[in-house]
Amino acid sequence: MGALGGALIGVVIAIGASAALFSGANWLFDLAVDRWRTFLAASCALVGALVGAVIAGNDVAGGPLWLWAVIGAAVGAAAGLAASLLGTPSKPRRTRLSERGRLVTFLGPSLLFVALGLVIPLLRSIYLSLLDSRAEAWVGLANYGEILTNPNSLDLSGWTEIFTSRLFYAALVLIAVGLGIGMAVGRRRGRTMEALPGSVGPIAIGLFVLSFAVFTTLRGTVINNLWWVVVVTGLSTALGLAAAVLADGVRGESVAKSLIFLPMAISFVGAGIIWRFMYIARPPQKPQTGFLNAIWVWLGSLRPRTTGAWVAVLILALATVLLAGLCAFGVRRRQTAFAIGAAVTAVPLLWLIYRFLGPGLGGSVPGPTGEPIAGTILFLQEAPFNNVWLMVVLIWIQTGFAMVILSAAIKAVPSELIEAARVDGATERQTFWNVIIPTIIPTITVVATTLIVLVMKVYDIVKVMTAGNFGTQVIANEMWQKAFTELNFGLGSALAVVLFLAVVPAMAFNIRRTQRADA
Amino acid sequence: MKKHRTRSTRLRPSRLLAVVLAFGLVVAACASDDDGDDAEEAPAATEAMAEESMDESMDDEAMDDDMDESMDDESMDDSMDDDMDDDMDESMDESMDESMDDESMDDSMDDDMMDLSGTKVTVFGPESSEEEAGAMQDALDVFAAHSGIEIVYTGARDFSDQINAQAVGGNPPDIAVFPQPGKVGDFAAENWILAVPDEVQAAIGAQWPAGSLDTVTFGGTLYGVPNKTDLKSIVWYNTSIFESGGYAIPQSLEELQGLMVQMIGDGVTPWCVGIESGPATGWTFTDWMEDLVLRIHDENIYDQWVAGDVKFADPRIVLVAQQVLDIWNTPGMVYASGGSIAATPFGDNGEPLVAGDCAMHRQASFYAAFLPEGTSVGPGQEVDVFYFPALGVKGNRPVLTAGTYVSAFRDAPEVWAVMSYMGSAEYAEARQAAQAARKGGGQSGFLSANLDQDLSVYNDLERSFVEILQTASPARFDGSDLMPAAVGAGTFWTEGTSAVNGDKSIAEAFAAIDASWPQ
Repeated sequence: MGALGGALIGVVIAIGASAALFSGANWLFDLAVDRWRTFLAASCALVGALVGAVIAGNDVAGGPLWLWAVIGAAVGAAAGLAASLLGTPSKPRRTRLSERGRLVTFLGPSLLFVALGLVIPLLRSIYLSLLDSRAEAWVGLANYGEILTNPNSLDLSGWTEIFTSRLFYAALVLIAVGLGIGMAVGRRRGRTMEALPGSVGPIAIGLFVLSFAVFTTLRGTVINNLWWVVVVTGLSTALGLAAAVLADGVRGESVAKSLIFLPMAISFVGAGIIWRFMYIARPPQKPQTGFLNAIWVWLGSLRPRTTGAWVAVLILALATVLLAGLCAFGVRRRQTAFAIGAAVTAVPLLWLIYRFLGPGLGGSVPGPTGEPIAGTILFLQEAPFNNVWLMVVLIWIQTGFAMVILSAAIKAVPSELIEAARVDGATERQTFWNVIIPTIIPTITVVATTLIVLVMKVYDIVKVMTAGNFGTQVIANEMWQKAFTELNFGLGSALAVVLFLAVVPAMAFNIRRTQRADA
Repeated sequence: MKKHRTRSTRLRPSRLLAVVLAFGLVVAACASDDDGDDAEEAPAATEAMAEESMDESMDDEAMDDDMDESMDDESMDDSMDDDMDDDMDESMDESMDESMDDESMDDSMDDDMMDLSGTKVTVFGPESSEEEAGAMQDALDVFAAHSGIEIVYTGARDFSDQINAQAVGGNPPDIAVFPQPGKVGDFAAENWILAVPDEVQAAIGAQWPAGSLDTVTFGGTLYGVPNKTDLKSIVWYNTSIFESGGYAIPQSLEELQGLMVQMIGDGVTPWCVGIESGPATGWTFTDWMEDLVLRIHDENIYDQWVAGDVKFADPRIVLVAQQVLDIWNTPGMVYASGGSIAATPFGDNGEPLVAGDCAMHRQASFYAAFLPEGTSVGPGQEVDVFYFPALGVKGNRPVLTAGTYVSAFRDAPEVWAVMSYMGSAEYAEARQAAQAARKGGGQSGFLSANLDQDLSVYNDLERSFVEILQTASPARFDGSDLMPAAVGAGTFWTEGTSAVNGDKSIAEAFAAIDASWPQ
């Protein structure tokens, strides 16, 4: 209680002191315009008092502090009055002086704090990153060289395997489909390439899959961080946009949006612990207590060629036939996107049918005597996709953020624009893609860059869930580990600088974007 | 334009207030930071925590009674009674005379204890469970009651990281309890901790087995005092499985190998293994490695390996790692309650061991604290212990030990008094009594190799541990704790975890460890 009381008194005193400082400065600079002589005397007295205090404080001469302050103030005031006899500057100059003085008084303290809390530590980190682990000897760029050459932080050795991975081929197919549709539609409209959902969608998904092909093959801390940025930023923004659009104007919108926004209220550490329980695996002979493994093992218990599996296949087959019908319907009506949507939806159903008929679905492996036992997924231990399971946590948290911002942007699209589009005969979908999206593009960029900055610094989730083991290390956690666990301050600082340099472009872009929006 | 300008120069009072308020808060935050540095704030928090944890277990009065009773019963002489507030020097002398005859200890204690009431000493350590941290505080309270020093213990699971941050940040505790002598060396090299004064060394040194102080002596200067000891070369086993299977306690490593094969044939899972431990994941693997290096090779190779003269990539060391992983990866050999060895927290193995999911668990003497509550331990009980046997052909009895050392950050008589106490037989006895009481009278999990302690405070099993400790040949301290932090608390854990998880081959992982060894 004593500490709290002391802190409260401190707060009151500090507020009082800064109130006196700021209102005093405001009053002083108001004088500069109208009453030059008083201003000069007062400001010179202030400077004199400060000089007196410095003299007393440094024990240059004897005497109490207040005496020196009063003497200084008196001398200053006299000097100020004397100076005012020399003449008064013109009114515009006095106004400018008053504005400048105000600027310095009000900006100075915050700049000082920014310098103390941000700029000086940054410069010191850069300096430390050029020293050795004990921060003693100069090693030049050796720490940065270590980051780039240590296979744990950057391992490009397997790059040829990119071109043999299934993900790579899947990505190529998707991109080809997208390009094909775009060019086909484009030729009909007299252009080489037409950007429309049917073409942009597959290309975007293809590029996303391609990034997976790259990031699962090239490994290391730096690569992990890039992977986080691509996946979490991409999916959070996309899912947030989808939620914002789908919930827009329907009944129960606020409830739905609140539910999606709820995870934002959970700390990263809390979310990490929650999801650890989701991912937990138990030995095969035990009941699974992790939610995802429980489902996975239950699916595995639906063995091929059992009644349950046949029923499932039947249901899936009916659904597939239905989708095929919809696809044909779309083709006949020249609704390309509709047909493609139906066809794309059918793909996972076909895959499920294949799994039910063939190798079986879910976690189940033949035991030593042939009977099936549970085959669990070690979500957090199986590299490289354990990274994705960690990212899911952050996506789960950040989708709500993206949704709220984008939803506000969508609601702010001028209704005149939408009505004009409707009058011109645009469909719902055309309005969305050609009117709403272009209008909210600036907001989408702001959301994406904000997420990039946040994701780049991801730390808590990795720390809590895997502690950076199993190939899930990220730069921020590595930095902590090097600097504070292994006491290698040089390398830790170098990692901090790398992180800083990676974040700066996104920050700069974001700030410029915001400033332009304000202007 | 002009109007606009004049408006902007004159701040409205409400805005001014907001600015002032914000600035004041910042100033207050900074100011209170300055006021409440090391001495004020942290201890307040730790005190609150300590009190909370005490309140949880038992209220103060009841605890005092408990303590007095148990001590009277077990071991303590009149020195621990309450009636000695006035003339404690005398009774302290008595107790000392009984337990040891080192004159200098008596003197230093006398001198220190005259005028130390009202002082405060903070102790920070890695033991954070309710039993361990509580018993630590209880044992310190015994000394506090006599000396008048207020002693506050705080425990944190991630002590290793925390203490680094505290030392770098300049607000360390008065005394830290280091589980890693290598870290004591690091801290000594940074001049963060103080050399132990001669009188403390003279008082404590004679109480411990020869060589106990060598691990924390650097450049001929002693930097720590032993506080507790762990016996690592032991195997906890489920007695009912051994009984029903007719298994004999293996007397040699060869017999243990045979027993494992026999168990698998009988459908019994021999081992429970888990190496997950948050940021320290992997240390269980290092323990297995060390125990087997001592057995498959010898103490000379062990010492050279710990000193970095025998590399990790040395075929002899790789061979040991291969042995460990061969055992762990044999199908049916290991029950891992988290789905895989790397995913299983080391503390989660007690339950399956008692439940009979596995037969044996190799873990240090402190593991008693992790067994499920109410588990009976000892010959003929639910769980018993056997010595992790050596190679029969060698016929030696190597023992791997570990333990904590206390080092001081502040040079003050009360700090040295507390430090002397923490290395003394009185501490060991008080701590053991308190911890056994907190564990409900069973296995306490605490152990000390102090030669002067009254062994009657331990139960039979614990006494056998102490005897193994005091007579072991050769005894070696946990190697990973002696290695430089970058390896012993860094890559040996992380790269070892990679090898266990199958992310890397042993050769790759060990090459990375060698590369990280500080030059």
